[in-house]
Amino acid sequence: MGIDSSKRLMLTGNKAAAWGARLAQVEYVPAFPITPQTEIVETLAKWFADGTLKGKFTNMDSEHSMFMAAGAGAATGVRVFTASSSQGILHGMESIYTIAGWRTPMVVVNVSRALATPITLEPDHNDIMSVRDCGFIQLHAETCQEIFDFILIGYKVAEDPFVCLPVLVNMDGFYLSFTREPVLIPNEQKIKKFLPEFKTSQPVFKASQPMARASAVFGGSTYTYFKIQQDLANRQAEEVFLKTSKEFEKHFGRFYDVVEKFNMEGAEFVFVMSNSFSTKGKDAVLKLRRQGIKAGLLKLRLFRPFPATAIADALCGHDNVAIIDQNLAPGMGGITYPEIVASLYDRKNRPQNILSVIGGLGGKDITEGDFLSIIEKLKSSETKQPFYLFGKKDEENFERLQHLAISNKEAFQS
Amino acid sequence: MFRVRLHGRGGQGIKTASQILGSAAFFSGFQAQDFPLYGAERRGAPIVAFTRINRQNILERGPILVPDILLIGDESLLEDIQAAPLCGADNFTAIFINSSRLPEKLQENYSLSTLPHVLDITSLCVKFLDNGSSTSAAIAAVGARLLGQIEFPALKEAVELELNAQGINSDLRKKNIDLAEEVFQLLTPMEVKERPEKNITSSKLISSEQKPVVLAAPIILEPGNMALRKTGNWRLDRPEIDYEHCNNCLICYARCPDGVIGIKTDGSPEIDYDHCKGCLICAQECPGHFIKTVKESGSWE
Repeated sequence: MGIDSSKRLMLTGNKAAAWGARLAQVEYVPAFPITPQTEIVETLAKWFADGTLKGKFTNMDSEHSMFMAAGAGAATGVRVFTASSSQGILHGMESIYTIAGWRTPMVVVNVSRALATPITLEPDHNDIMSVRDCGFIQLHAETCQEIFDFILIGYKVAEDPFVCLPVLVNMDGFYLSFTREPVLIPNEQKIKKFLPEFKTSQPVFKASQPMARASAVFGGSTYTYFKIQQDLANRQAEEVFLKTSKEFEKHFGRFYDVVEKFNMEGAEFVFVMSNSFSTKGKDAVLKLRRQGIKAGLLKLRLFRPFPATAIADALCGHDNVAIIDQNLAPGMGGITYPEIVASLYDRKNRPQNILSVIGGLGGKDITEGDFLSIIEKLKSSETKQPFYLFGKKDEENFERLQHLAISNKEAFQS
Repeated sequence: MFRVRLHGRGGQGIKTASQILGSAAFFSGFQAQDFPLYGAERRGAPIVAFTRINRQNILERGPILVPDILLIGDESLLEDIQAAPLCGADNFTAIFINSSRLPEKLQENYSLSTLPHVLDITSLCVKFLDNGSSTSAAIAAVGARLLGQIEFPALKEAVELELNAQGINSDLRKKNIDLAEEVFQLLTPMEVKERPEKNITSSKLISSEQKPVVLAAPIILEPGNMALRKTGNWRLDRPEIDYEHCNNCLICYARCPDGVIGIKTDGSPEIDYDHCKGCLICAQECPGHFIKTVKESGSWE
């Protein structure tokens, strides 16, 4: 089953994630399935069962215990992998915050899926944004190759003695999780050279050697101390990510900066995007350029720690910026919008015209036409924010469905 | 602003005392604020409560670091470095101690900057309530009387209200009101010294450095350190084994929730008084009733 030389395979995002975990030689996987993540844990279960992977795969009773087991497993000094999505992330939320504080390294994959209500299986980013403040490092993937690569880079960042934090690798459900495309899988020996066996840099749980990984504190000072340390370690991860990325490039020839700049030279209109829909954004940029519109795209990659300087450096000097959030904080708007705007505040040549755009919710497509509409909106004097990517056709489709759901309207109008 | 800080042990009614005092001040036309501070600890553990009383709106919250009046409901706290009831007291702070000892002796023994006000609240509680540790009404009465700003009817109304809210029956409420009245008559208002307002000086903040993960994560490599925290002074009552009758059945050893009953080499149980919190479960569980309970008194004489 082992792969003895580098190969290019047609893999779904889920399979690429499983391959990443496999070639990182993970030793413990606590798992709980959820659409659209299930293929990841199914694939790993098979590899553990047939002996391809050595170690322990455990079916847990919920995401809450799954994340707790992941933290506890990592605290014994083994390399841990797990994956979840959407409602599963929400269900595991208490454990997610808890294990971030334990400072135990691991890699977790989130397959983005929109949150109830209404319930759906299709993607948007409210699930990954809900764990924005938990203390995990976050890497957002655009391609199946990025998923695979980020898992390898992720372990190296997570396990760095100055970081010691879980790393979350995010991919869009369906758009990446179920989408096959070629992924270059380097040979095992090459990967081992980049990512050797896990050697913990801190005390670990051992039999007959009692220790505690968490403690109750009172009075605020102790709590604040540990929280500041979590913040400093997380911030440190930006430098560690860059260093690791350069090392990764030496081994495999691909370099990942904290952000990706696409056709930013001379761009008068910049779209800020993340994850798989960035591909659509890039396509639109190229077409718009051919139409004579100077468009560009800034892709967010490392989302936590937040690379404010790199983002501000990339956006300054461009007049019009549209921040496309595939998430919605009702009553506020897009979640990344205020973070990006804040990172620009102290810059003299910051963009004067910044638009908050909400699109791609619950798997809704963002079309070429939407990108041009965004540019028209940026040019207009109308200032209403956020700008929802919801059109006439969407409304008609919706009303047709609603007619089926509520055909006898009069009955409710007494 | 009058800032009253109350110290006692869980179960003595210190939180209720702060609320009675707060309500009594409120009924007397003041703005009032009361607040207890405690965590996951239990009966007997040091607790602290606060009452702020002011003619104007109160723009303070949280613990009172520099009290105008300190009401110490349990003398044994003065020797507990973690309870530290005198912390923050200065020359403007009036100190009250529930004690049967002379104020001069207490001042000398605890190096107090001012002569404390003293009354044996415990004996009065025994006299009126047949229970030396239900001190809420009496301690509140001390605070109200020393302040000199609260008349007895307002205090009475507050005792009635707060003890009723605690589910205390009318007969016992009446006894508490009589107790409060007795305390009110035994004390005289103190001289309240105006504390001059100090200019704000900035905090000395530091720039935090990242530490290695062993020092940066809440890791405990030496667990079982609870033994370092001596909880023996939490006891209001002390269990004492009657070794003449004890038949070494060790039920007390099995039932002790804190594991402070050990077994001696001769097989008999032994109580570790440094850590026994005085829950008296052992005395309840002893089949022969061979564990008696003895009132704890102050630790010096």
